[in-house]
Amino acid sequence: MLDRFTKTALALMVVITVIFVIGAYLGYVAGSEMEGTDAMVEDTAASTANAEATSLAPAITDVVGEPIGFTIAGIVAGFIVGYFWTELFRRRENV
Amino acid sequence: MHISDGILAPEWCLLWFAVAIPFIAVGVWQIKRGTKENASYLPMLAMMGAAVFIISVWHIPVPVTGSCSHPIGTPLSAIIVGPFATVVLSTIALFFQTFFGHGGLTTLGANTMSMGILGTFSGYLLFLGLRKVKSPLWLAAGFAGFAGDIACYIVAALELALSLNPGSVLSHWALYTAGYMPTQLPLAVAEFVFTAGVVQYIADRRPDLVAKKLWGGVPSA
Repeated sequence: MLDRFTKTALALMVVITVIFVIGAYLGYVAGSEMEGTDAMVEDTAASTANAEATSLAPAITDVVGEPIGFTIAGIVAGFIVGYFWTELFRRRENV
Repeated sequence: MHISDGILAPEWCLLWFAVAIPFIAVGVWQIKRGTKENASYLPMLAMMGAAVFIISVWHIPVPVTGSCSHPIGTPLSAIIVGPFATVVLSTIALFFQTFFGHGGLTTLGANTMSMGILGTFSGYLLFLGLRKVKSPLWLAAGFAGFAGDIACYIVAALELALSLNPGSVLSHWALYTAGYMPTQLPLAVAEFVFTAGVVQYIADRRPDLVAKKLWGGVPSA
């Protein structure tokens, strides 16, 4: 039997996933590549001054790819948030 | 708002580091004091740190504009754990994000300035102001999220214009801000919703955890 926290977390995951999928699908239908605005604006700015973006830190995403890299980050961060969330809010429920 | 290495001039990188360091120092002091006085503070910090990291790195597609961007999460963190502690959390988050191809090491100060300092304090001060005029908690938190998100990108645009276009700062500031806003406005609305929801939820369940006298916040009730 799922507890209330797990049910809420799962429902939120479904809602967020649906939003992502709808957004990505509509972008795909419209023929957009869904490029990040950070990079777009940065490229525009750099082109005005002949600057070029580089990276001094080795990017994990270059090795494993963005989907896997961000999935790993999401899982790790999700576990941390979920663990402390239950720890912090369980105390109150048990009082 | 993640500005990469190689974009900003070295003197601007140094300046933004110099501005950010005092905020980080106060934040470290705030964290030390908070962990001594409240046993729940450390797990809350860890949770907020992970939340800020993932919220501010995960790109959300915005079909209206055909591009994607991310919220920042720091206004939410500021309300829960305090603004200066949030500067520390966002600096750590931004550091790790460089290993995901977001931002840069030399621009860590500039990115901390936009997301960690201006994004945090603009939202937090608006939250305090709205609470002073008896605004409902969820509404004040929501507007904090919205304002912090927008402020962060306005400052990032200013950082780019100041460094790259010193002869025409205002026009380029407006240009870069206009580049960010179409994608960022829907995400700022999303930031309004989740900031309002999370803060109200925490205040209902654990009102003792919403920033109170410890870090200069206001009572949640």
